[in-house]
Amino acid sequence: MDVILQQTINAISLGGVYAMLALGLAIVFSIVGLINFAHGDIMTFGGYGIFLSLAFGMAPVPALVVGIAAAVVMALTLERTAFRAMRGADVVTLLITSFAVSEILKVVFQNAISARPVPISLPAGWSGTYQVAGTTIGVVPTVSLVVAFTSLLGLSLVLRRTAIGMAMRAAAEDLEMLKLLGVRANRVVAIAFALSGLLAGIAAVIWTAQRGSVDPMMGFFPVLKAFIATVLGGLGSLGGAVLGGFVIGALEVLTQAFLPDSLSPYRDAIVLALVIAALLWRPDGLLPARSATRS
Amino acid sequence: MSDAALLAHPARLRAANLARTLVCLGLLGVVVALLTLVFGRAGERIAVQMCVNVAAVVALGVFCGNTGTVSFGHGAFMAIGAYLSGILTMPASVQRSALPALPGFLAGHELSLWMALPVVALAGLVFAALSGAAIARLVGASAAIASLGLLIITHGVAVGAREITRGSQTFFGVPRVVDLPLAFGAAVAFIIVARAYRESAMGLFSRAARDDADAAAALGINPRRTRFVGWCLSGALCAVAGALYGHMLGAFSPASFYLSLVFAHIAMMIVGGMASVGGAVAGVIGVTLLQDGVRQFEGGGDLLGFALPAVFGLTTVALGLAILLVIWLRPMGLVGSFELGPGAGARIFDRITARTVPAASPPPVPDAILVAEGLSKSFAGVKAVVDMSFEAPTGRVTGLIGPNGAGKSTLVNLITRQYAADAGRTLLSGRDLGKISREAVARAGISRSFQNLRLFRGLTVYENVLVAALAAGHRGRDAAAVTLRELDAFDLGALAATRAEALPYGARKRLEVARSLVQDPAILLLDEPAAGMNPAETDDLADRLIRIRDTRGIGILLIDHDLRFVNRLSNWTVVMNRGTLIAQGRPEDVRADPAVIEAYIGRGRTAAAVAATEEETTPRQGVRQ
Repeated sequence: MDVILQQTINAISLGGVYAMLALGLAIVFSIVGLINFAHGDIMTFGGYGIFLSLAFGMAPVPALVVGIAAAVVMALTLERTAFRAMRGADVVTLLITSFAVSEILKVVFQNAISARPVPISLPAGWSGTYQVAGTTIGVVPTVSLVVAFTSLLGLSLVLRRTAIGMAMRAAAEDLEMLKLLGVRANRVVAIAFALSGLLAGIAAVIWTAQRGSVDPMMGFFPVLKAFIATVLGGLGSLGGAVLGGFVIGALEVLTQAFLPDSLSPYRDAIVLALVIAALLWRPDGLLPARSATRS
Repeated sequence: MSDAALLAHPARLRAANLARTLVCLGLLGVVVALLTLVFGRAGERIAVQMCVNVAAVVALGVFCGNTGTVSFGHGAFMAIGAYLSGILTMPASVQRSALPALPGFLAGHELSLWMALPVVALAGLVFAALSGAAIARLVGASAAIASLGLLIITHGVAVGAREITRGSQTFFGVPRVVDLPLAFGAAVAFIIVARAYRESAMGLFSRAARDDADAAAALGINPRRTRFVGWCLSGALCAVAGALYGHMLGAFSPASFYLSLVFAHIAMMIVGGMASVGGAVAGVIGVTLLQDGVRQFEGGGDLLGFALPAVFGLTTVALGLAILLVIWLRPMGLVGSFELGPGAGARIFDRITARTVPAASPPPVPDAILVAEGLSKSFAGVKAVVDMSFEAPTGRVTGLIGPNGAGKSTLVNLITRQYAADAGRTLLSGRDLGKISREAVARAGISRSFQNLRLFRGLTVYENVLVAALAAGHRGRDAAAVTLRELDAFDLGALAATRAEALPYGARKRLEVARSLVQDPAILLLDEPAAGMNPAETDDLADRLIRIRDTRGIGILLIDHDLRFVNRLSNWTVVMNRGTLIAQGRPEDVRADPAVIEAYIGRGRTAAAVAATEEETTPRQGVRQ
């Protein structure tokens, strides 16, 4: 019983991180058709924001806020410098652009800060545990679970209830049409990037709180999982991205908990192989994005 | 190019294909010779590396270039090739100390490289067939990410399988047998294979499906199969290239085949131009020279009197910037979207006059009849087509008219299985088209044109028609002959070597009809073939269609809302409005039908219009059903 509850919380909190990253990718993809390889570097930059604020003597909570803000600024900067010039290019061109940007950013991080992990020391109490009905539960997984759900709920409210949210959903369907209606496309795209940066920043906070360090590849691996999550959920579908993120988180925790030790090195391989097998069954993903093409 | 040159075009195209292969080989040969002659031993080392990279990138391009999908997964095939070949060729004594726990069936083979390579290629093929079953189902970005997943899986397995790979430790003892002649020979062989595949029937199908999957499927090409075949060939080649890479390095680890290698190879492919073999070769040469130039400064140095600090990863930055610059300035890469070298229309081929005689007009098609029975389709509650039944026999032009939004194009898409019907069925001479695959509809005898032009942009006019002829089962000279026949019938001879995207509008429209006709269909579906044409062009098209109906006996289902055009051609007119059949009959009868007039003109004026037509054509014969 203990184990099940603990693992469920772990699965949901890990899945929450993947879901936030995948949703950030999906928002940008659905509007400008960009699969942002540099999304991981946005998250890493958020992590370095936390590291630097703490290094300059900031209190932990403001430091986390700075980290999130850093990710947002990074997302907006990339949009303005690298991706705006490429708007309207085909998916492959955009993918390669972001791939190149991502490689360059990693080298910049290595040279400007360090190629090795730098420590982030948050108050000891944050990484403690508490007891519920005789079960020991970690504080960080619980907080990250709450944060992830709050962020996802908040974002879905923004997308559904506010004017800019509706403009973004409309942009996902047809950006050109939105321009003709007099909506400022650049603003909508910038806000989409800002939201994806915000989600990456929150993910960076949760990730660094769990790992206690930042390195140039920090964001890369979770974002790889998030990529797979977006494809599993259905590329371009926001709900699918969130669902895909939770499915991958759950699969990962399940394999970690129940796989025999001899197979544990193959954990990632098994999870990904399961996902690719799922694509055989549903090539358009679990919740396919609607698309209408006329002949 | 004059029309007389059209008859020499197939021979000139073959010559141009050969010339383009030679240009690739010559380019590589010249650079390799310069490197070894000017820089001696150091240059030779770079040349070997360059040749192995050419092999790898050309192999990658076999999939990416022909399908338009970037793959991150070829690093997986290279790793498989390198480790397998390393194990098979390793001296037994080294193997016992390096890999004590190696499974028995892999141990102690001590093969020569030439014995190992076929095994490696086969292993690559098998792995490609397994992974391709999933990846070939995906397109575009989804496929790219899934291939990235494959890379991560393979990397994870290579790190985990310590008994076979020594885990993340260095795998050593691989014979370093790759010298310049071997590397150059391999690059030459890979270029020839890739060029041959690109120009083969399967390569043409693949590029057609890359440019427009729906149009390719309507010609009977299975886009998924073209991706699968490209993936398998590319995988087998990549495994061999990986083996060569391993035998060049002598010692490597799983990280050698991970993201940095994949990034470098993709950069080479994109910088040169993904769509062509020449692009892959040019990209490897350019990027290798750039990398080796920049590497001089990675450890710091002195440039024009300025002291440079040591920058770790400078080559990566240079690669990234090279990609960004190329994408900004030349989105299709240095070489562009076409092969390096002269096209079939180039002047140097003027002296080739070996003529291909256009095929004679085919015998009239045997009698057949297309029958739609109760076809229905709704989109999210909107009823686009409701219970449509009609017939279109051979030898007759059946007009299908109706106001905008009547459901005409949807009906065509139901017949050709682009959409699945909610209810009803389509029969061609009694054969249910719902029970065969979508691609088999074309082979069953139904070709179509599209309302919005759907040409294969990256192919020439000649290739656009040729690919349809090949898809219909024509081969070799026969395919060339029938292609020439249709190009001639539609006055496209002078444009044979032009790429489709550069054609004027009227010619594009004619090309689409020619492309459908070369398949020798029993029934030809033309979806607004005259849309956007001026009256002279429309009349010209009508003349050509009448000729085809009379000489070849093809049944034409002509969809248009230009009543004058439809009435001139059709012997039977079917009228749709709001998804349902409102009238059918001989054109003059249908024209007088009040329901038709109402649909076209509106309710208020119906009475007046009916009165007017009744004066013209009394007694009126009602044909409304």
